[in-house]
Amino acid sequence: MLVAPLMALYAAVCRTSQYLNAPSFLNKKPTARAVLFVIPALAASALCTGAASLAAPLAARSLASDTLPARFSAQLPLLFGMGVLVYLLYALLSELARQAERSRLAEVRAVEADLMAREAEFRALKAQVNPHFLFNSLHSISALTTIDAARARETCILLADFLRSTLGLGDKAAITLREELDLTHKYMSIEQVRFGNRLRMEESVAPEAMESMVPPLLLQPLYENAVKHGVSAMADGGWVRLEATVEDGRLTMRLSNQFDPDSPVRRGQRVGVRNVQRRLEARYGETAGLIPSSEDGVWRVRLWLPAERKSA
Amino acid sequence: MARAAVAAGGKEERVMPLTAMIVDDEELARDYLRELLARHVDIEIVAQCSDGFDAVKEASARRPDLLFLDIQMPKLDGFEVLDLIEPGIAVIFVTAYDQYALRAFEVHAVDYLLKPFHQKRFEEALVRARLRVGAAMTPPAPELAAAARAPEEYLQRVVARDGAQIHIIPVDKLDYAEAQEDYVLLKTGGKGILKRQTISSLEASLDPDRFVRIHRSLLINLDRLARIEPFKKDSKVVVLRDGTQLPVSRAGLDRLRTLLGEEA
Repeated sequence: MLVAPLMALYAAVCRTSQYLNAPSFLNKKPTARAVLFVIPALAASALCTGAASLAAPLAARSLASDTLPARFSAQLPLLFGMGVLVYLLYALLSELARQAERSRLAEVRAVEADLMAREAEFRALKAQVNPHFLFNSLHSISALTTIDAARARETCILLADFLRSTLGLGDKAAITLREELDLTHKYMSIEQVRFGNRLRMEESVAPEAMESMVPPLLLQPLYENAVKHGVSAMADGGWVRLEATVEDGRLTMRLSNQFDPDSPVRRGQRVGVRNVQRRLEARYGETAGLIPSSEDGVWRVRLWLPAERKSA
Repeated sequence: MARAAVAAGGKEERVMPLTAMIVDDEELARDYLRELLARHVDIEIVAQCSDGFDAVKEASARRPDLLFLDIQMPKLDGFEVLDLIEPGIAVIFVTAYDQYALRAFEVHAVDYLLKPFHQKRFEEALVRARLRVGAAMTPPAPELAAAARAPEEYLQRVVARDGAQIHIIPVDKLDYAEAQEDYVLLKTGGKGILKRQTISSLEASLDPDRFVRIHRSLLINLDRLARIEPFKKDSKVVVLRDGTQLPVSRAGLDRLRTLLGEEA
């Protein structure tokens, strides 16, 4: 009779062990944590044993039993010991359950990140063969065949080179910034055939930045935007400028271009930036980022990621 | 009919010489069209333009019979150019890829060339365009532009021309528009600019969550609305932030209240 309410009370007391899993406790050393578990276990058990011994005479009176108090006092040490053990067991089990849950969540997150990275990769590669870019380049080549056949051939090869390099990138996790810039130079040379003097390129890249690893085709969609929404919408053209530095283990790149503030926002302008943002996030979490801004007819994208060297 | 002409060889030349204009911001694209047009002795190229402003200026000054018009260009896009020039110029759109624009061209039987295009395709388009010289574009430019926009995409600015002056009004600067016979008076910052367009066509181009037709002849920017006041018995008047009072119809009042989330 006494046992049931006592057990219920004790189960409630055991729940206090959960406070021991609060982050402030989790940061402590294992030995410190062990002590932290034992002290409340002793206290909880003592509390309940005390409560039980107070309740025992009352129960004895109501049951009119003379032997009960004596039997009860004999069992007290056992009760106390069991109390401590149950408390510790409870704490241990809840700790285990929590850790299992944590690792499951981590797994789910890892799968999600992987999926997002793949999706971003796919989108980036698809954007590569942007139909607008491709058809316009082909039109330039077709126009050049009668005007300047040698240049038509050159442009053809440039386009093939560019397409070939993007094809090989699908399964690479990262390439050096130097390789990425090689690719964007090819892309921009093709655009230069279309836009001529209207497209002006500037670049200032620190030597150590050149050897930093970046996900393939990270900058390419941003260059594409710079041309499509910036320079190509300006009658007299404009510049596209890249600066890249490495500082405190972080690679920072600033890509800026001029644009016409009066021209309407074209479809798809933000999509490229968002895709790059997602890719960085999926891959590097909070250690990488991208911030776009615009001011006085200049559109800027600042992006940063951990500066990693090619592993030998 | 046009198809038959193409089948017959497409080389038949008219006695009356034609004038043509090329509008494209890419030099090579202009060169290519010039090369193709050079084979037609009866066609004279009167102007070549590389941006929208220039195109409107030249088209108004020279009144060509044929206009080869790129869509994505600096300053004004192809649809805006079409909106600002006189009707009666046979337009052939030239573009690389734009799924919505292409659908609009197909639906409205507008001539277009897809870059890159072959000479054969160019000749076909030219034959059809010759038949249209002097006829007004159907549908009118704003409707065609609306059809070429992606779903849920609205006009970001309204263009209008007043002689040689081109007005570009971003939609958030447009206070309200008032129908005046075949024209619509665009009110922006106290100024009024007349444009040849129906108010319904303008309404259809604008975001219905931002612009509301409060009256048969009035379309207001919801952002400019200050309050709705009683006027005489049984009727109300809309007061804009600058104090302008505009009549509101019963249906207009319902539309306003729905947009403002009030109980009707």
